[in-house]
Amino acid sequence: MSEPLLDQIREAKPAASPELRSRIRALEAEAPSARRSRLASLHLRPGRALALAGSAAVVAALGAGLVKGLTSEPQSQLGATGAGQGTTGLDQSVGSPTGAPESATKEALAPTGNLGAPATADALAPTPGRLQRFQAEMRLRVADLEELSGATKRAMQIAQSLRGYVVSVQYDAPAQGVGGAQIVLRVPTARVQTALTQLSALGTILGQRIGIEDLQQPADDLTSQIEDTQRQIAQLRLQLARPTLGDEERAVLQARLTESRRQLSDLRASLGGTRAEARFATIQLGLTTERIEPAAVSDSRLDDLKEILAWEGTALLYLLVLAGPFVLLGVLIWLALKLRRRSEEMRLLERA
Amino acid sequence: MTLPARRTPIRSVSFAAAAAEHLDDVYGYLVYLTRDRTLAEDLAAETFEKALKLWKRYDPRRASARTWLCQIARTTALDWFRAEERRRRREESVARPDVIEMAASEGLSPELETALASLSAGEREVIALRVLLELDGEEAARVLGISPTAVSTRLSRALTKLEERMAVHV
Repeated sequence: MSEPLLDQIREAKPAASPELRSRIRALEAEAPSARRSRLASLHLRPGRALALAGSAAVVAALGAGLVKGLTSEPQSQLGATGAGQGTTGLDQSVGSPTGAPESATKEALAPTGNLGAPATADALAPTPGRLQRFQAEMRLRVADLEELSGATKRAMQIAQSLRGYVVSVQYDAPAQGVGGAQIVLRVPTARVQTALTQLSALGTILGQRIGIEDLQQPADDLTSQIEDTQRQIAQLRLQLARPTLGDEERAVLQARLTESRRQLSDLRASLGGTRAEARFATIQLGLTTERIEPAAVSDSRLDDLKEILAWEGTALLYLLVLAGPFVLLGVLIWLALKLRRRSEEMRLLERA
Repeated sequence: MTLPARRTPIRSVSFAAAAAEHLDDVYGYLVYLTRDRTLAEDLAAETFEKALKLWKRYDPRRASARTWLCQIARTTALDWFRAEERRRRREESVARPDVIEMAASEGLSPELETALASLSAGEREVIALRVLLELDGEEAARVLGISPTAVSTRLSRALTKLEERMAVHV
């Protein structure tokens, strides 16, 4: 197109009439304060608002992760055991689910001559087929109070899963300083190796002591005594059955029979106790925390932060998967409406 | 063809200053769009009424005041076209609306004026924006709601058509 023609168009630019100018000025006069305020500059367009909201969400997520990672107190996660309220120690005794005797526990904790230096559980295993008293002590170190709580719960679960039971738990989780737990467990002797293996995985082993006391000989002695007593009782019954027995002699025999019966009952009870003692092994588990170095704290909190961010990422992914189709549908509808509007405008402008 | 671009510098202006500075631009654009000076005056007044109400939302960093005002003017004109079409349908009138041709005394040659009148509103508006108001491609695209490339294509077609119509009338 020729430039003179374009110039002609530019030069013939329609100018607003004085009346129109007056009308516009009148508009201004009606609203003289219609000046662009500083606050108005904060008006957000939808796209910018969306971007801002997204950025804010990311910053909030990061902030939450940081705050959580930096301020999380291990004690706060011990609520389930009731130890998170300060320095109060928890001394909890747990009843035996199987009704097994508990009275001998304290005595069993005392080191016997058989308890030696730290050794592996495999090195000293109970002998199958023999009645033995098996005792083990194990000291483990856990990273912090949070792990202490988890390890304590896990130890109790291990005992129960092996058909054993918890004799006692002493749990101490102060707000500051070193925490610890003393747990006494009883598990079937046949499964004590499994128990020790699983318990040793709860932390770093600081020490381990295993003691085995043979109970087979005492049990055999008791059995022999029982048999003697039974024979004695049988003889006394025979003597008492004689018709020629005098009253005085009968009374003496009757007293001896009563005494033998009582003795037999005691011997049987004792044998039962010995066998019961041999059926369950006693494990004393000591858990402790050490003062954590600052570097370790940072690493731990960094791990927490990573974990939180990973969780948030997963949640975001789920959200995207769930909301994605709806967002896509919305975008498609918006595009279709925009296209329709544009074609309608074109049609209007073609006709005008 | 390279058309010069006249950009309004980004600055915070008052509505009064923007209205005074760009009234002719808005009016000229509406005259080209409607081919009716009286209607263009009414639509220009309506445009500035809307602009006054929306002035607090105007962001000079996003577009110049002239571009923003032309966007409002276009929306106002399209609303009028829609209303006019509805009215025509109601009256079952097949005739085109009465339009007062642009006066020849405004400086256009009769051939050019006739050729402009034969173009569609869509073609005239792109000429108005790019030639008359000398908006650059991006500004015109913003007003029309299309891409700068589409503006360039539309302008090229409109000018070719105008030239052809001019040749016919000559």
